[in-house]
Amino acid sequence: MGTRERRERSDQIDREIQSLYLDALSRTDVDPESIALAAVGGYGRGELSPGSDIDLLILHSGDIPADSLSEFVNAILYPLWDSSRSVDHSVRTRSETSSSASADIKAAMGLLDIRHVAGNISLVESVARDTKESWIKNFNKYRQAVHRSIQEREEISGELAYLLEPDLKEARGGLRDINTLRAIAKSQVVPVALDRVAAADALLTNVRDSLHTVSGRGRDQLLLTEQDAVAADLGFADADVLMFEVAKAARSVDYVMALTWHRIEHREGRSFFSRPKAHAVGKGLEEIENELTLVSGFDIASDPGLGLRAAAMSAQRGIPLSIEACIAIAENFTDLPDPWPRQSREDLVALIGAGAEMIQVFEALDQEGIIGRWIPEWEHVRFLPQRNVLHRHTVDRHMLETAVKAAALTRQVRRPDLLLIAALFHDIGKGFLNKDHSDYGAELMVPLAKRLGFPESDVRTLELLVKQHLLLSAIATRRDLDDPATIASVLAVIPDLDTLQLLHALSIADGEATGKTAWSAWKATLVQDLVYRCTQAMQGVAPAKALELSEAQLNKVRSGELSVEIRGREEGFEIEIVSPDRMGLLSVVAGVLSISRMDLRSARTRTVEDVAVMRWLVALDVHAPQPGEDQLLALLQKALDGDLDINAKIEERIRNFRRFPGIPVPPPVVSATNDIATDATILEVRMHDQPGVLYNVTKIISRFGVDIRAAIVATLGAEAFDTLYITDPQGGALSEERAKTLATQIERHILTQ
Amino acid sequence: MKLITAIIKPFKLEDVKNALHAVGITGMTVSEASGFGRQRGHTEVYRGAEYTVDLVPKVRLEVLVDSKDVENVINAIVKAASTGAIGDGKVWSTPVDDVVRVRTGERGSDAI
Repeated sequence: MGTRERRERSDQIDREIQSLYLDALSRTDVDPESIALAAVGGYGRGELSPGSDIDLLILHSGDIPADSLSEFVNAILYPLWDSSRSVDHSVRTRSETSSSASADIKAAMGLLDIRHVAGNISLVESVARDTKESWIKNFNKYRQAVHRSIQEREEISGELAYLLEPDLKEARGGLRDINTLRAIAKSQVVPVALDRVAAADALLTNVRDSLHTVSGRGRDQLLLTEQDAVAADLGFADADVLMFEVAKAARSVDYVMALTWHRIEHREGRSFFSRPKAHAVGKGLEEIENELTLVSGFDIASDPGLGLRAAAMSAQRGIPLSIEACIAIAENFTDLPDPWPRQSREDLVALIGAGAEMIQVFEALDQEGIIGRWIPEWEHVRFLPQRNVLHRHTVDRHMLETAVKAAALTRQVRRPDLLLIAALFHDIGKGFLNKDHSDYGAELMVPLAKRLGFPESDVRTLELLVKQHLLLSAIATRRDLDDPATIASVLAVIPDLDTLQLLHALSIADGEATGKTAWSAWKATLVQDLVYRCTQAMQGVAPAKALELSEAQLNKVRSGELSVEIRGREEGFEIEIVSPDRMGLLSVVAGVLSISRMDLRSARTRTVEDVAVMRWLVALDVHAPQPGEDQLLALLQKALDGDLDINAKIEERIRNFRRFPGIPVPPPVVSATNDIATDATILEVRMHDQPGVLYNVTKIISRFGVDIRAAIVATLGAEAFDTLYITDPQGGALSEERAKTLATQIERHILTQ
Repeated sequence: MKLITAIIKPFKLEDVKNALHAVGITGMTVSEASGFGRQRGHTEVYRGAEYTVDLVPKVRLEVLVDSKDVENVINAIVKAASTGAIGDGKVWSTPVDDVVRVRTGERGSDAI
């Protein structure tokens, strides 16, 4: 198996065709000066796999009578067909060849490899010249078609590196991509790092040859049933090693392809006067022409959080992270502290919570080896194949796909961050000999979650989610749901409703990412039934607890004056505001903080004896000035006096934010329940975070003529989860109908935002 | 020859498979099915939203047997699938004209 065999196979066919040519000449009256036989495509390169087509171009001058020509062609083709070779042929003149090349990108690329086999060599040489000149001259025109064909192939055949039964030729990162790279190199528009795909080319071609030999067919899809035989044929230890190597090869092809397209798209030298405008979007980050890049000269090494910040920003805004940025981050890599700072953890959550947009960013970072340096556990599952009829993807890609599915379910749980992290790592324990992947995964999850900086209770939840990620599916399909013992066995493992909802969402995401056979509507119904029965058996949900007040805070309350205190925190600031309560206070404060370009990370507020105490945790927007207590106090006073147009300024911030394409996010969920213990209506708002969320929500509430007695606001990655305790001005919870109307109004307002 | 079809509760599949194995049945076809009988569907309230389970998930099991084994096999299925609660399912048999084993071309009882 190798280049030599492929060349010998090609030479053998050359000899056969040459003798057929002489035979055809002797049997017809065709003038040898007006005809030539040429090899194109893989055969043109002199490389034939056992099951490859013989791509033959019969060139003629155009002055051979039709009858003679057809007699000649038949004399060549019939013997080939009779020897059961598969021949892909065309009969053309020089100008017909040119026009077919400009109409069909596949034909054009095949012609780039044209080689003379028999007949008048100058006919072949002129076509070779035409093709090359046109390819270089019209590359801009061809380029669109090449790009389209790459995309179409990916849609049909998927990505070679992540499929368990990949098409070696057509899938992304496969042999046809290598060919495309060669063709691009011939256009001379950009340098192509062909040396970086040489090893991949050799491996994939050898695997394909072996597959043709083993299967006895010319098919290029490497099925599970043939992987063992191919691995043995090529001398790999087993099929897993083979598939690992195939994935690695495909990834390198993919990478060079991405790099090459990037160069093509950015090759036009821009004049000094038309330089694209850069927009600062975060510390050290700017957006130029819909691509996220690093601010030039930024000290990358001194900012370990930069990589995750860039990744989160890129994924959430739906703009790609530039390859230069990835390379620069890798070259100047600095380890994150252990545990990670809160901001980095939230950036990771925001990255994986971005849905399908995330995969491209994650890939780019992984290709530069950055993911493995952030999360060393990832290295073990990288390209790890799984020999399981239910699965379609390698382990790493399956976990990414699960996270994508989980991002659509974030409204169904109270802790979207835990759902996303559990989704990304639920199979991290796969691929260890004699270890149950759920149990071992949970073992790995504990130190990992601690390193990410989660508090102990969250670490335990993540451990449980990974350990039990198959529990609901297993119980629902194999145990009697009518038996109280079945429900009791689930409740013995799952401590509360929040965890049950997380596990349910994780089961759905995992199942959907695995494939249709693993997650049918049939199975979904069974699992939902189980979850419903468990929910019934559990206690009601305990809402987040409101702020407890210290003696110092109570003293401030007693003074009854507006006061502001700002304390610097590791990341951002803690701002404590005490103010006499009034209708709409929370909205005004949230608005003022937002227009001071602070991102609200979390807040707890409480009203005691007509005085409101609010503790805010905020992060500063890029370029926002340091907040000063007096300044903020003055601004608040102005706003409370009605001398500040908060609305207009918030609108402006939102507009600025919307300049980016954004990503599809699940719709907001607003729910209202009456809580007997606190005698208040609890309003829960779950939505994608954006500037001014809390301002807008609380504005509607005060317009509705009700009081906000307490609020707990949390931003988890890119998700906002706000809990508001609401009472009627006379005190007490709202009527069920009023609560429902309010929830609907808020939901409608957010949807139209 | 008869085709025995059974609709059972999903969690009973293992028990029924074992019971069939015990009476000498080695091959069967199993598929996911949904439907309702006298049990009908039911309405649940989940996270505040009502949803109707009008089709209950079941497992459909098909076995080809020689006519003399029919009673035995049906009894084994019924015994293994029974919980005594509503929705346990049904078992029925239908006459079969001919059976061919695709690989060997054997016909009739030999192909079972």
